[in-house]
Amino acid sequence: MSALIWFLPLFLVLLMVGLPVFFALLAAPGAMLLINGQERDLVLLYRNLYNGMDSFPLMALPFFMLAGEIMNRGGITTRLVEFSQAFMGHLRGGLAHVNILSSILFAGLSGSAVADTSALGSTLIPAMEKNGYTRRFAAAVTAASSVIGPIIPPSGIMIIYAYVMGESVAALFLAGIVPGILMGISLMILVRLLADRYDLPKAQRIVHSDQEISATEYWVSFVLIRLNLGGILYALTAPLRRMMESPVEGWTAFALFLVMCLIAHVLLMRYRRVVDHDFRLVCKKAVAPLQTPIIILGGILIGVFTPTEAAAIAVAYALIVSVFILRSMKSRDFYPVFMRSAMASATVLLLVGAAVSFKAVVALSNAPQILADFILALSENPLILLFLINLLLFIVGMFLDAGPAIIILGPILGPIFIELGVHPVHFAIIMSVNLTVGLATPPMGLVLFVASSVSGERVETISRAILPFLAVHVIVIFLITYIPAISMTIPRLTGFVTP
Amino acid sequence: MGLLLGLIGVLKTFNDHVLRVGRVLAAIALGLMVIFILAQIFYRYVLNNALPWPDEAARFMMLWMTGLIAPSALRRGGFVAIDLVERILPAIVGTLLTLTLFIIGLIVLIYAVQIGYSDMTGFGGRAKTASLYIPTSLGFDEWFRLPRSWMFASLVVGIALMIVVSIELILRQIVSLLGGEDRLPPLPVTDLPEAE
Repeated sequence: MSALIWFLPLFLVLLMVGLPVFFALLAAPGAMLLINGQERDLVLLYRNLYNGMDSFPLMALPFFMLAGEIMNRGGITTRLVEFSQAFMGHLRGGLAHVNILSSILFAGLSGSAVADTSALGSTLIPAMEKNGYTRRFAAAVTAASSVIGPIIPPSGIMIIYAYVMGESVAALFLAGIVPGILMGISLMILVRLLADRYDLPKAQRIVHSDQEISATEYWVSFVLIRLNLGGILYALTAPLRRMMESPVEGWTAFALFLVMCLIAHVLLMRYRRVVDHDFRLVCKKAVAPLQTPIIILGGILIGVFTPTEAAAIAVAYALIVSVFILRSMKSRDFYPVFMRSAMASATVLLLVGAAVSFKAVVALSNAPQILADFILALSENPLILLFLINLLLFIVGMFLDAGPAIIILGPILGPIFIELGVHPVHFAIIMSVNLTVGLATPPMGLVLFVASSVSGERVETISRAILPFLAVHVIVIFLITYIPAISMTIPRLTGFVTP
Repeated sequence: MGLLLGLIGVLKTFNDHVLRVGRVLAAIALGLMVIFILAQIFYRYVLNNALPWPDEAARFMMLWMTGLIAPSALRRGGFVAIDLVERILPAIVGTLLTLTLFIIGLIVLIYAVQIGYSDMTGFGGRAKTASLYIPTSLGFDEWFRLPRSWMFASLVVGIALMIVVSIELILRQIVSLLGGEDRLPPLPVTDLPEAE
């Protein structure tokens, strides 16, 4: 046992000098097992790697990646941006607000901050520059708001965390909604303050007048929006339905839903007279793309789909929308989209498998106990410890991407804090948000590099411009850490977490 | 040097062609995964008849997708690493460090492929899969139940291909060290979507 304790330091050294995380996760425990004369246990390392990848819940990851890639192929980003602009463009600092709102919407389609930065950055950074913003400010807003992507579901890192730590993906997804929106609103408040101080420009609400829409899309959106609103109205009748003597089920429930859709129709027709043509079409063109989060969350909430199945449905929906409705994806796009998603997924799956092996050796050694003793010797107050964890994760996030960091630190830190009484789902959100923000922190923030390549501005310049936004990130991290209700309310209300 | 460059040429040709086939198959596997899971949902909710095989078949495809395309990712530098130290070091030391790291990776892979191969051909590999059958006659009246070794093979093949890639990368570093960097054939690069 004795030599095993050295595998964590060895691992850190290998990682720091630049060995790919996948190899470091296997090499460090492997070397220590060899030195310790436990050569036979290497088989366990390999089997854990294989079994770690052979998993149904994990399949949600390639699917969500694929759905995001398909949605990214064109058309959709522009639609989301124009939609956001129709609502917030006229405010002072309008395009900065639009950038943040687009990130929130985009987060519901993809689980990746990097995809968010590259998609929104390539559209919005040039537009903001033309509108009178400095390029570094535009790049900083894009990078800062893109961290919302992996917080609002679907989320790649939450699928990974849930799998490695044995939590429910659905619970983590639901827990991420409010923190993600809170992050967005906080960034908007900052933009509002900056707008007064630096006299940031306003923008047009409608970029392209005389919008056009194909007949298919028109009618598809026409039906979908009525079904959406009808569904919301139906959900609002829940207290009324509970007061009825016999439960509303089957055809009665369906009839009630149809009535609600009809009411939605009447309301929409009244609203149509008030708004102008372009505004209406801009909104209409956002309806089809924005069904994705509704399908994913709706399916999981009603309990008909597992997250993996919801992800497969999201792929099918994305294909139908981009091939038949928006016609933004051509047959020649299929291979690159599937190939890129497969390759990116494969590297993450290997990483997760290696993490499962690593975790097995962590459990064999008494490293967790020693670490727990060390951490508990610092303080026994969970609040102070959480603060220290915030700090640690923030520093780790500066150097390591969120996915690998969560894979490595989850199994080590999770049990200690759960023992201290922090709810596992709450801790998952603390880790996810903390490490996601790390994607936008200098010197090694992945998102900063992407923002730099999209905007052509130097990483160092963006790093300075992003500082006020980072301050907001930090405040939100503290709020999420110390007010569990922010993350836990929705999973509790929906019964995905027992109190 | 000439010998090294010749070897690199051979490995490059091998990797270029074999890995291209791997990428195509992996893309198809990803498509099949989606189709299998959609079939599962369709049969369960629309036909009220849950199928036994989609879950296992989709995992089968996911493992093969990983095995077939991970070598391409390794070759294109798609494996996440902290490359801070390497960038600060002077060029020659940086190349030496990269070489060492590639060799560590190769050692890990060689251990893994040995264990994987004996697992595949051993007791566990001979056990049958739970629900995967393929027809062996045109009349669909004879079915062959796949052994688990067919699933195990995915990772073994992947690791074996990664070994070939690693050797190519190591030889390239050695040539760079010897000052022949400008004579190396270029490697393909792609930007990848990210999970975070």
